[in-house]
Amino acid sequence: MTASDLTKKAHKTRPRKKVQGVGSGAPAWGMIALFILPAFLLYSVFMVWPLFQSLYFSFFEFKGLVRGGFVGLRNFQELLTRYPLNEQLPKAFLHNVYFFIGTMLIQNSLGLLFARLLYVSRFGKRFLQSLYTMPYLISALVVGYLWSLMLNPLFGPINQVLKAVGLGAWARPWLGDPATALPVIILVNAWQWVGFPMLLFSAGLANIGEDLREAARIDGATSWKLFRHIEAPLLLPVIGIVTVLTFIGNFNAFGIVWAMGGVNGEPAGSTDVLGLVFYRTAFRGGIDAFGLASALAVLMFIFIFGVSMLMLGRFRRWEEDLQ
Amino acid sequence: MTHRTSTSSRHLNLSDIGVNVLLWGYAAIVLIPLLLVVSNALRPTREIFKNPMGLPTSISFDSFVKAWGQANFNVYFVNSLMITVASVLLATSVAALAGYMLGRYTFTGSRFLSSFFLAGLMLPFRLAIVPLFLLLNKMGLIDNRMGLIFVYAATGIPFSIFILSSFFRQLPQELSEAARIDGAGEITIFGKIMLPLVRPALATVVVFQFVPLWNDFFFPLILLRSTNKWTLPVGMTRFFGEFQADWSTLFAGLIITTLPLVIIFLLATKQIIAGLTAGIGK
Amino acid sequence: MTRKSMLYKLVVLVVLLAALAGCSQAPAATKAPAPAKATEAPAKATEAPAKATEAPKKEEKEPVTLTVWSWRTEDEQAYNEIFDVYEAAHPGVTVEFVTFVNTDYNNILATGLTGEGGPDIAQLRAYGGLQPLTEAGQLVALDGKVETLANFTPGLLKGATGIKDGHVYGVPFGIQAVAAYYNKGIFDKLGLSEPKTWDEFINVLETLKKEGYIPLAAPAKDTWMLPIIHDAVGAPRYGGPEFEKKVLAGETDFMDPNYIASIQLVKDLQPYMADDVVGVGYQDSRTLFITERAAIFIGGSFEVGFWRDQAGDLDLDVFRVPPAPDSVLDSPLTPGWMDGSYGVNAQSDAQEEAIELVTWMGTPEFGQMFTEKIKQLSPLADTKPVDPLLQKFAKFYAETPTSYLHLVNFRYGDPSGSTLLGNGIQKMLLGDMTAEEVAKSVQDGVSQWFKPGQ
Repeated sequence: MTASDLTKKAHKTRPRKKVQGVGSGAPAWGMIALFILPAFLLYSVFMVWPLFQSLYFSFFEFKGLVRGGFVGLRNFQELLTRYPLNEQLPKAFLHNVYFFIGTMLIQNSLGLLFARLLYVSRFGKRFLQSLYTMPYLISALVVGYLWSLMLNPLFGPINQVLKAVGLGAWARPWLGDPATALPVIILVNAWQWVGFPMLLFSAGLANIGEDLREAARIDGATSWKLFRHIEAPLLLPVIGIVTVLTFIGNFNAFGIVWAMGGVNGEPAGSTDVLGLVFYRTAFRGGIDAFGLASALAVLMFIFIFGVSMLMLGRFRRWEEDLQ
Repeated sequence: MTHRTSTSSRHLNLSDIGVNVLLWGYAAIVLIPLLLVVSNALRPTREIFKNPMGLPTSISFDSFVKAWGQANFNVYFVNSLMITVASVLLATSVAALAGYMLGRYTFTGSRFLSSFFLAGLMLPFRLAIVPLFLLLNKMGLIDNRMGLIFVYAATGIPFSIFILSSFFRQLPQELSEAARIDGAGEITIFGKIMLPLVRPALATVVVFQFVPLWNDFFFPLILLRSTNKWTLPVGMTRFFGEFQADWSTLFAGLIITTLPLVIIFLLATKQIIAGLTAGIGK
Repeated sequence: MTRKSMLYKLVVLVVLLAALAGCSQAPAATKAPAPAKATEAPAKATEAPAKATEAPKKEEKEPVTLTVWSWRTEDEQAYNEIFDVYEAAHPGVTVEFVTFVNTDYNNILATGLTGEGGPDIAQLRAYGGLQPLTEAGQLVALDGKVETLANFTPGLLKGATGIKDGHVYGVPFGIQAVAAYYNKGIFDKLGLSEPKTWDEFINVLETLKKEGYIPLAAPAKDTWMLPIIHDAVGAPRYGGPEFEKKVLAGETDFMDPNYIASIQLVKDLQPYMADDVVGVGYQDSRTLFITERAAIFIGGSFEVGFWRDQAGDLDLDVFRVPPAPDSVLDSPLTPGWMDGSYGVNAQSDAQEEAIELVTWMGTPEFGQMFTEKIKQLSPLADTKPVDPLLQKFAKFYAETPTSYLHLVNFRYGDPSGSTLLGNGIQKMLLGDMTAEEVAKSVQDGVSQWFKPGQ
């Protein structure tokens, strides 16, 4: 078989389970090391080691940047009992949860929808795909500023347009009303990132062999049936990736919320998220800020890591069930 | 090469119209704020303060000239290019190697390694700025672009391995089996067969690493001291005063900063799409 | 195959590029100069050696470059001009002024003072903001080393003092004060004059509202402005300096009924602010003022530069908000604070020259240039601001000073009084908290770290 034959075959065949164990097909240890070592070293030295040190720092007292004595769990205790931190922390966590749910429902559904609609050849396809992803290219701070301007109750066009078409009752200070501020930020965040799931889903859709689609079509399936019974299940791995990355991204969210809600998660803390709490604790706190922030990072890490691993495991099991 | 056309003859034109309304309507929602950036880059800051949403009364490219010449953007541009390209290439290369091995084989410790690499995605890396600073200080890499490159590449590894290993996993076993029968070694299988097949994933990974690194201002601000080593986003922070910002120059600087991203992105999506359509032929 | 060899070639190229980047460590002399200085730098490079050889007196001094860090990116040009004067008088010394974005300055400075390559001199935050650096021992104690410290009152020096060891670590450079700016043009048009009593003040606001203006251009989205507004209208109500003394001694706290009433004043003024004021940001409020949609802007003396640059044609003046009914003190007050100081890095290898420079920053010569070029108030007694608005502020602060309470006294711990008060007032304006609850929030938060009697 030639390479191009193999290539064509790859796109037609469904993925298989991978080989287990070292004996029957896994390469020699030397080969494994060759492939993995470069990434392992770079990552361990420049990322893991500093992070590990930060986590280690959470058990110490800090005066500015200078490390003091070992204080055990005191930083954690302070985190959970100091006013107003003890109120802000659970609230921020809840907001992150809303953020995640909202983003899954809006951003990732739209991403899937756009990917599917733009998968087929149509007028302006390339243009639209590129355009939708453009906002991702601007830094979150600028996106936040732009949309704050658009939504500005005094100068922004959105309220002006609403009033002009007679929907003035809907015009409100979007970012000044605790009830609408967070949903608006979720929408703006989706605006910025929709290209990301869209591209991943497009790549995933491409992985599904054309013959499958042709076969289904010949059998009389409509576009919707095709999507629901064939494409969606085969997209499960990509859905898994997108979900986990969205989860991690949302719980670490910082830039866009800072730009639109300020460092305190205004108005009235209704847009406060863990990332902002962390920033305030680490960089706007008092003298012992560093120890507290390290403790918060430990907690965030345990939570995010734990849930992500669970999610991944669950998705992996679903994928295997399908095969 | 056959392309499927948009709808089968069974569908009503109504849904087709609906789809187009949705797609182009959203396109407008994307376009308008972007045009705002362009518009404000062409107005002087004073006008922007007085009327944040107005159109330019007269088109002036002064801000672009100011940003590029006076504000040293030409220097920052080269730095950004050097640092980002090097970081992304470094991270993608090592991640492709590791992702391949982790994605396609199970061996003692492979599960651990996958989780190990994945964990890097989950922490706010900003926190590690102080130990990172101390580490680079010890290595003599403060105020050295190389230090920044290593750090950036390291931060790109978790995401890249995550995506690439998943795509490598999808490729069928028969490919490597057949190649092995033909006498190919692991490296050959990787380089000649597997890697080209994950081209869409590679392009995706490159784009999604490139953008946040290009736009990052926090790490260079702290790890690079000499102003002639600064990158574009850091250069832009200099337009933010304590109480006011030089908006017009800022927006012009933003356009200068974003243009290369647009180019990279358009090139990358071409690759992604080329990879997609390669499979459609029969 | 081409793809693989291309990849390898790329990797090699990358490594080469990176190595090149690493090796091209630019020597200090070619640090890119600040934008305004772009044309001056070449001239300077040739000037300094010439001056070094012609230095008439004493020992041959090696040419020294002092690096000064600051968060005021808007003042770069002004400081370069000021330091030119110093360089002319001190041959062999070059001063390099480097600015960083305000919001991240504290981190940059903290890491900068830790490792090598930090500044010789740094602009320092005042009061509570200074303490992390002093407690970490990163600054040089200046008392006894800098004679010009005698030019400043003890009250001013407090902002540059480490509270744990009592040493002074910086030479103060600026003062800020708070009052109410107003658009004289609008006032004249409506036949209004500066209010001398609270009733007159309300009358002015009512008239403005009736005529379709937004009387008070106040932002509630950016909470940091709210304590400023609170002190400007409420300081006499809670008793200004007397209250400050009592609180610091532990004789009263923030649940004092007078203090609660002062918070309520801000709520009482809400009808005269923009609708949905919690959606109005700091920048918006300034835009409202300069586009003459609003007539009064309660803010700090730091706004003067902005008004002149962006709306130089506006006829502006400033007044002190009269005391509200039932006030503890029956005259208006001008809250103010020491804005910051310049200190010396303990790791600087040019400490002697650095101390010389900061000493010069305590002289009226520097102070006068500061107020003229940067358009802010200098803490030095002999300086005379040139701008009429600044002159008014200087007069007000000299006549009726009081501390901007939370910035001066309650940022020494976490949570800071300013943050609690700002967030609380925002909630109050939203209707989520009463004035008493706001006061309680401040008291609960601050009492976690504040020990009266220090």
